[in-house]
Amino acid sequence: MMIKTLSPQAIRLLALIAVLVLVLAFFASQIDNYFNARLFTRISTSVAIMAIIACAQTIVMLARQIDLSVGSITGFTAFAAGSLIAQYPGLGGVPLALYAMVIGAGFGLVNGVIVAWLRVPAIIVTLATMAIFRSLLVEFSGAKSITTASLPEWLTRFPNTVLFRVGALEFRAVVVLAVAVVVAVYLVLAFLRPARRLYAVGSNPEAAEMAGINQRLVILLAFVASGALAGLAGFIFLARFGNITVVAGLGFELKSVAAAVVGGVSINGGSGSVLGALVGAVLVDTIDQSLVRWPLVSEFWREAVLGLLILLAVAADAVLGRRLMAMRIRREREKRA
Amino acid sequence: MVQAMTEPVLALENVSKHFGPVVALADMTLALLPGEVHAVVGENGAGKSTMIKIMTGVHAPTSGRVLVDGREVSFAGTRAAREAGVAAIFQEPMVFPDLDVAENIFISATGLGLVQNRAALRARARALIGRLGMALDVERIASGLTLAEQQAVEIARALSQDVRVLIMDEPTASLSAHEAGELRRIARQLADEGVAVVYISHRLEEIFEVAHRVTVIRDGAHISTRKVDEVTPDSLIAEMVGREVGNFFAKAPSTATAEVVLSVAGLACEGAFSGVSFDLHRGEVLAMAGLIGARRTDVGLALFGIHPATAGKVTWKGRPYAPRNAADAIAAGIAYVSEDRRKLGLAMPMPIFANITLATLDKVLSRFGLVQRGREREVAEGHRRRLNIRAPDVGVAVGNLSGGNQQKVMLAKWLEMKPDLLIFDEPTRGIDVGAKAEVHDLIRDFAAAGGAVIVISSDLPEVLALGDRILVMREGRQTGILSHDEADQEAIMRLATGAQPARAA
Repeated sequence: MMIKTLSPQAIRLLALIAVLVLVLAFFASQIDNYFNARLFTRISTSVAIMAIIACAQTIVMLARQIDLSVGSITGFTAFAAGSLIAQYPGLGGVPLALYAMVIGAGFGLVNGVIVAWLRVPAIIVTLATMAIFRSLLVEFSGAKSITTASLPEWLTRFPNTVLFRVGALEFRAVVVLAVAVVVAVYLVLAFLRPARRLYAVGSNPEAAEMAGINQRLVILLAFVASGALAGLAGFIFLARFGNITVVAGLGFELKSVAAAVVGGVSINGGSGSVLGALVGAVLVDTIDQSLVRWPLVSEFWREAVLGLLILLAVAADAVLGRRLMAMRIRREREKRA
Repeated sequence: MVQAMTEPVLALENVSKHFGPVVALADMTLALLPGEVHAVVGENGAGKSTMIKIMTGVHAPTSGRVLVDGREVSFAGTRAAREAGVAAIFQEPMVFPDLDVAENIFISATGLGLVQNRAALRARARALIGRLGMALDVERIASGLTLAEQQAVEIARALSQDVRVLIMDEPTASLSAHEAGELRRIARQLADEGVAVVYISHRLEEIFEVAHRVTVIRDGAHISTRKVDEVTPDSLIAEMVGREVGNFFAKAPSTATAEVVLSVAGLACEGAFSGVSFDLHRGEVLAMAGLIGARRTDVGLALFGIHPATAGKVTWKGRPYAPRNAADAIAAGIAYVSEDRRKLGLAMPMPIFANITLATLDKVLSRFGLVQRGREREVAEGHRRRLNIRAPDVGVAVGNLSGGNQQKVMLAKWLEMKPDLLIFDEPTRGIDVGAKAEVHDLIRDFAAAGGAVIVISSDLPEVLALGDRILVMREGRQTGILSHDEADQEAIMRLATGAQPARAA
């Protein structure tokens, strides 16, 4: 009966956490000394950046769009923030993060205007801007790299700062920041009335139009928010790695889509949450990191396992969706009879 | 209830709407009074949808005036119409499947603050649903609601925005009898509360139950508005179909033979139609008439194997016939010409010849499995001349042809298959009168050459011009088969609207 009172989304999230626990149990049985404090640190710090990018991707996907340029935006903003702080070492962390976010939002604005006003499908627009933003990075950097040496010490130390410990587990600043961002976005999407229109537009664009919702504006703002979050991820990327080359953030777009989809965000829009995307990101990363240590599987298979996971998640959603439809049709028929 | 002195809340004055050369609405006049249920009836294509779209701000009228409270308005869009208090609900409700009932109702409401107070929202939603006299859990996700429940959500949404004119377009077409009764009760109740309710329905009996006044429209124009106790089903039907003689096509003599090629008994498809039984003779044209939602197309699709029937027996040329897919039907010599040329029938960017040979490609293949362009063009050229397809040559992309010529290309494609049964769904929808007559001739020629034809048509003159016999359906049931001699527009409409009880065919 309990299960009836939970929303389908909550069930999805709980199922995902169960899968995560199963995956952990599986690797613990296969790999000696699997559980330790270092595992937690490794996965949590690695997930921190992807969690924010997956969050950005989720916002866009909720509006029935997609943003393939997030990786390029992350790379560009990481480089731009690195150059700025190298020039003005006195700048604080908050202005630097804001600088990265504003640049990212600007890129998002470009995506949003083209998608919403020129009515070009988002997958095409962001495929193009993914390449364009990446080329801008190459141009802007002059093919030079940013190195840790050019960054102030407080910045490179920040991601590794341990904020607090629970037993042997260390909670580093970068992890706490990422979780805080995800939770904040979750709260905004769940409780701010204007943000609910994101779900409405993704859920049924025609009905949104009929209900007098300004679809274009909603889609535009989704891309701007996505860009800004990718910019924030760029800032964290800079702090964590220090060395930024022109390939920074390459491949993040697909990983973020994978995390969101595995986390239960519908590619058809309107359903899913950033919490799901967070758990999806953790799951994807856990498997990725653990396979490295599992001697039975060659590392070439890691990509394939990730692919399989995406297929499973999407297939599960499709089956579940059809079940719900069938249930509804049955209900209608019973009512008629 | 309705006072003669009341001022109309919404009125149309001499409103016309043209789409290119097509006149969808001609000099339409309508006045809606607060507190009345105003039924609007008319045949398929009489202009009801266009009228709704003008009242809800989807279309702007080509000429004429729209008045709200006696003042002329011009709605810039659906939002402006909503703000003026005009809302519409349709047969297929517009809900957000991923949101719960409460959010669905209030998603676009203003003045509720920045932060969503779910508890308060749900309380208000409950109050609105309660006002409709419905029992509905406002926390349920809309994708799990029945159609009737989704409509209730839409009505509640309209109420939350202080609706003054509520247009219900065929609201009960997909509902069960009980649900339909509930909806009529709600319509009546809203009127009692002072809302002007426009009630559009094909079910005439429903109109006598719910409406205060009824307006008949025909060919885009206003025919009459009367109190419901001043009309009868027969008088309404007469006004709905009353047409000038010039619009009729002459009926060609029947070429039907005594040989039965297709025999259908008790055909049914779960959730769509049931109890369809008829015989079709070689050389005969059977017309299927009915209003939109009568499920005639579903019968055609079942015979063509796209949506296989779930019950009943079909005998085709003396052998049991139960197609599981379109390939089965084509192999049996049955062709289906779709009503939706764009979606199901033609590849618009491809040239005429490629479209014509698409379904019979192996006829133009060389021994090595390659397409012989020359042969393909030859075949297409033959059809182009015979069917009088107006195009400079068969290399023209089908998308550039007029609707009538597209229809002929589609017909050519299926004729090339040399079928024995042709199922033709809305053969002349949206094409001009000249092309219409040509398509009719082609259908007659096909029958005269020994083919059997089923024509599904919502156009009564066409049904009468083509049908050697006429099968009438209503809401998924066969309500009768008329021979051409006993059929006229009134008789068909009586069976199609249920003004006359079903009888054995």
